Amino acid sequence: MSEPRWVRAILMTGALLFLGIFLLLPLIVVFSEAFKKGVEVYFESIREPDAVAAIWLTLIAAGIAVPLNLVFGVVAAWAIAKFQFPGKSFLITLIDLPFSVSPVISGLVYVLLFGLQGWLGPWLAEHDIKIIFAVPGIVLATVFVTFPFVARELIPLMQAQGSEEEVAARTLGAGGWQTFWRVTLPNIKWGLLYGVILCNARAMGEFGAVSVVSGHIRGATNTIPLHAEILYNEYNSAAAFAMASLLTILTLVTIALKAAIDWKSQVEAREVGENRERALAEA
Amino acid sequence: MSIEIRNISKSFGDFRALKDVSFKVETGELVALLGPSGSGKTSLLRIIAGIEVPDGNDGAILIHNEDAAEISFRDRRVGFVFQHYALFRHMTIFENVAFGLRVRPRRLRPSEKIIREKVNELLKLVQLDWLGDHLPSQLSGGQRQRIALARALAVEPNVLLLDEPFGSLDARVRKELRQWLRRFHDELKITSVFVTHDQEEALEVADRVVLMNEGRVEQVGTPEEVYHHPANAFVYNFLGNVNLFRGRVKEGKVYLGDMPLGLPAESGVDAKSALVFVRPHLLEVELQPNGKQNFRARVKHINLAGSLVKVELESEWGDPVHVELSHGRYQTLGFRKDDLVFVRPRERKIFVESEQGFCDYAANI
Repeated sequence: MSEPRWVRAILMTGALLFLGIFLLLPLIVVFSEAFKKGVEVYFESIREPDAVAAIWLTLIAAGIAVPLNLVFGVVAAWAIAKFQFPGKSFLITLIDLPFSVSPVISGLVYVLLFGLQGWLGPWLAEHDIKIIFAVPGIVLATVFVTFPFVARELIPLMQAQGSEEEVAARTLGAGGWQTFWRVTLPNIKWGLLYGVILCNARAMGEFGAVSVVSGHIRGATNTIPLHAEILYNEYNSAAAFAMASLLTILTLVTIALKAAIDWKSQVEAREVGENRERALAEA
Repeated sequence: MSIEIRNISKSFGDFRALKDVSFKVETGELVALLGPSGSGKTSLLRIIAGIEVPDGNDGAILIHNEDAAEISFRDRRVGFVFQHYALFRHMTIFENVAFGLRVRPRRLRPSEKIIREKVNELLKLVQLDWLGDHLPSQLSGGQRQRIALARALAVEPNVLLLDEPFGSLDARVRKELRQWLRRFHDELKITSVFVTHDQEEALEVADRVVLMNEGRVEQVGTPEEVYHHPANAFVYNFLGNVNLFRGRVKEGKVYLGDMPLGLPAESGVDAKSALVFVRPHLLEVELQPNGKQNFRARVKHINLAGSLVKVELESEWGDPVHVELSHGRYQTLGFRKDDLVFVRPRERKIFVESEQGFCDYAANI
């Protein structure tokens, strides 16, 4: 460390102050606002039927989107990391698309496709299928927005690991599934878990895309973030912040899990390193 | 189980890795595929294993006289040892070796007890039975290589293929392991092919050597045959240290400077230039000119470390010349740095320019 002490002090206080104002303070505000009218009001506003419906809808949307994108992410990452095929870079760009498009636009695309005035609207109406302003629309929008998380996490990891172990498994007589379950999956498990947690956090917290396709029907098409917004607009701030606090808890759990995974995989990496040094020292 | 390679070609994009390669490995043989990097030897090994597919329909790999393309990957029973081991990093050594047995279809899978016995037996065979519960990352390179071999042997392969098996090990371990591999092969007698770019390794370990260059087979033969009777300039140059001289052909003789050398009988007289190869230990150093069969050279460097004295000279036409002589001979002569000496080739190999040219080979030097 060559910098003088005062430089270090300024840098550190600056960073901490920034974090405090922009991250920690809102966190405290959310909980203090939620409990402002007492613990009872807090639990009352969570147990209220519309709130319960919003919680359920959020769980359903995430429950469908996360497994779907888990499977898609693994398949896409596998294809991109282990094979050469035409259109590979195009596929990578497509995977990134939900990151580069505003969520509101993604929602609007679904309205244009499935809405009453949309391309498929008349056909859907004829067959009495509701997508926009209904649960399927919310699930679709959530799937679209959370699409890249798992694949993005796995592609660099699988590219770094190469495919020699898989080829070795094949020469030893393992089939495709056996190779995947016994060799590939154990090698990517931490990266996969990490991607799933990020994917889940986004699926539950998504606002923009879901807001466009939801129609804000109380007790039917509101997710937790949408419900919180409605309550806030009705000046029911205690209930709104109670909803917000649920998402905040999700955030805290996500951060804790993320830290645990980082720690766990680092410990494993360190053990490997130490063991290697020991083996070298013995040799 | 014999392996026959018949007219195999392979391209990667514009690069032609293998050009119509054919040869046969007899049952129980240990054959080395030897060549510089990019000569196609690893591609060929991967094609024999079924990891890569050859181009077109003209070529075939026959294992025990059966077309390997008709045999599924699973039934091919090829043991493959990878250059960088490719051990399963998250499995213990025991589980690595047991893998080939555990992934068998249920009706062919041995019981847990038999798997245990078999794996322990294999670990004993490679002398690492005390490492069963370690992870691959806890092993040294040489140990990992032996585990990779044990893992390949667990499926009772018909043929064993090894890709640069000692490529990433240090010199001492390499030497130990290749002698060990030779003894190992003598015990098990599995038809084996290994790839190497180290001519010393190939000549020391293999029953026969297949020399490859730029996707073609240059020569197939026992180590003795290829060393003493090289088929062409490439083989001579690739096997062992060698001095290369460029000569001119005049009146049925090759001239190196003013020194005339006899031409091999079968060569064309109309050739214009020739390459003359002489191994360092076949050059005689003398203090006096002895007839016409020698050239002058100046002593540039003397290396006394080792079983032979290595002398670097500069020939009268300015090329570096490497000579090896015994310590006794060196003391008798007693020359020093910057002395003028006379060099006489005792044996040499002459390759005369022909229609195809030797320029291909000269470019590799």
